[in-house]
Amino acid sequence: MTQSSQDDQIADVLIIGAGASGAAVAWKLSEEGFNVVCLEQGRWVRPENYVTGDADWELRQLTDWAFDPNVRQRPEDYPVNDKNSPISPLMFNAVGGSTIHWTAHTPRMHPSDFRVKSLDGVADDWPLTYFDLEPFYDLNDEMMGCSGISGDPANPPRSPRQMPPLGLGEDGKKLVDGFEKLGWHWWPSDSYVNSVPYGDNRGACNYCGPNGLGCKVKAKASTDITYWPHAIENGAKLRTRCRVTQITVDDEGVATGAEYLDRNGRLRHQAAKSVVLAANGVGTPRLMLMSKSDAHPEGLANSSGLVGKNLMFHPYALVMGVFPESLESWKGPQGNIFMSQEFYETDPRKDFVRGYSYQIIRGSGPAWQARGGIDKPLPWGEGHHEAFASKFGKGIGMAVISEDLPEEHNTVTLDDHLVDGSNLPAPKVDYTLNTNTRRLLDDGIENARKVLEAAGAIDVIVNPLLRSGGWHLMGTARMGVDPEASVVNEWGQAHDVDNVFIVDGSVLVTGGAVNPTPTIQALALRTADYIVRERSELKSEPSPEPNPESITEGAAE
Amino acid sequence: MSPVEGGRLTDADRTTLVSVLDRLLPAVDDLSAAGEMGLAQEIEKRARRNPRLRSALISVMDALSLDLAAHAAGGFVGLDPETQIESLQEIERSIRDKFTTFLQMVYTVYYTEKSVLQRIGWTTGPVQPDGFDVDPFDEAILENARQREPFWRKTD
Repeated sequence: MTQSSQDDQIADVLIIGAGASGAAVAWKLSEEGFNVVCLEQGRWVRPENYVTGDADWELRQLTDWAFDPNVRQRPEDYPVNDKNSPISPLMFNAVGGSTIHWTAHTPRMHPSDFRVKSLDGVADDWPLTYFDLEPFYDLNDEMMGCSGISGDPANPPRSPRQMPPLGLGEDGKKLVDGFEKLGWHWWPSDSYVNSVPYGDNRGACNYCGPNGLGCKVKAKASTDITYWPHAIENGAKLRTRCRVTQITVDDEGVATGAEYLDRNGRLRHQAAKSVVLAANGVGTPRLMLMSKSDAHPEGLANSSGLVGKNLMFHPYALVMGVFPESLESWKGPQGNIFMSQEFYETDPRKDFVRGYSYQIIRGSGPAWQARGGIDKPLPWGEGHHEAFASKFGKGIGMAVISEDLPEEHNTVTLDDHLVDGSNLPAPKVDYTLNTNTRRLLDDGIENARKVLEAAGAIDVIVNPLLRSGGWHLMGTARMGVDPEASVVNEWGQAHDVDNVFIVDGSVLVTGGAVNPTPTIQALALRTADYIVRERSELKSEPSPEPNPESITEGAAE
Repeated sequence: MSPVEGGRLTDADRTTLVSVLDRLLPAVDDLSAAGEMGLAQEIEKRARRNPRLRSALISVMDALSLDLAAHAAGGFVGLDPETQIESLQEIERSIRDKFTTFLQMVYTVYYTEKSVLQRIGWTTGPVQPDGFDVDPFDEAILENARQREPFWRKTD
């Protein structure tokens, strides 16, 4: 580390993190003429370089393209001490963030999710409603491109989807039979995966399968190909391979920018009139806790003591049905078939509150199957080939996505010993699965069995809690009206520092029982809209020349 | 035979690895067993590139080198196939996590081999850019689902 140098220009808005939410904010604010700078510790990953075009893609999934940063161990990753958690946090560090790695299954939260205290007496109500967020869901759908179909009886009516649903596949149709026999809800998933060409040079899905490894035909939306090109065209500056070490503040505790290590390891400072944190539900509290100062002795904007607390995942159970005939279940994106919300809402007859969704999932390639799919590896030795033949292409799964209520003892803190490649403290996750969640998952497993058996499965394999299922990182800088019981207000603005905003999953009060990214992005757009309307004093005079920095930098990687 | 030194396999280790692969993935139909197919070299190469895989490979090879039955027979390759299997089962029990990672690597390399993919009827190239054919969504399948009244929970 060398001495700090000051970047020349003061940004109106400095965004930390170029993933799902940071990109949305960068686009919206740059569209409105704000001078936006974004610091991202990862790099550009070009679609032409995605590993699904290589014969060894299933091996890369185990190594440098693994979902788990502790396994992947790229220079831009930071380790996470997850020894005290039954679920490993997953993330990807790049322009686009974890949208590079996601399956882009994009349901919305329900109105009831915003009122769990009033309805069910647990956790807290949100300081906004589903209908406050609805226009921003719609805007995000348009920007990312949503395949699906309106009319789902489990959800409020919504605007027409940009594209028709993805094909169900033979495996999907087989499972529809099971739901129909039981009279249970199912509906084609909303997915940010193109069923027909949509967006800027983005093709239709060709059903290759592992879209979690990136999509070479750009059918799957990731923010590097949706929001970012427009933001950069608007003049937003995106600096990659820049690792933020702390948010800086003045004597009054007002944010002044961020100190960061650039790609050459030089310590620099980017001054800014406001700072937007978009580094995910683990990275953001980590950075806030690293940003201690006289004005913020417990970490940035942490007078409530709640930064890093109330960590929520969506604990997953996986139930896989094996059928006698081949369903060619490797065909098509793994997680974008359909979903069921039959058991989404609280049922007073049950011994738990809140509910769960089923996300229907496919199998994948042959190595994935041999490695066990959702279970332990297939047997080795003489029985291997028969075991493989009995399962490959014949399985279809039901992921139970459970609501996970916030609890203060589930935390992200700074590890005392573990550090990243820049010698910065790694996050430590302490998490315990609560009884309500366990009961809810068990109920989901039992009902999944019924569906699979009704559909004709001859074997049912259960993974009661997926360790490698920490895709959704939420709650660690929660939103609320009371500064003593929350970190940010309903606009994502820190109670303690009015020029700091948080727009990632950290702000979620509760997590619902759906994949959260559309909600996170809608909240981010709502925060950006607030900044445009209420914080116009942050905006500088427009720059006469668009800064080419981001474009040249991106092209070079 | 001695425990693997410096993280690199010796020639003796490589011979052992071939036998191990033959036990893990035996011949089937017209395909040779995995060791005989020559996959040991690829496994060693892949393990060299990744610390986690390297650690798993070395742990398994170390455990094999210390196996008492193998010692008595002058090495793992000197054991009869049944005893080799018993030896591997014992190692699987004693270092389960490392063995599982090693097994996953072996399976993955095996199911990347063209002749194996041909046998199981899977595409022999990468999944992109060709992908697979799936019929477009047909709305007729929603006929029943559309009949249901809205049941989302109202909040006001």
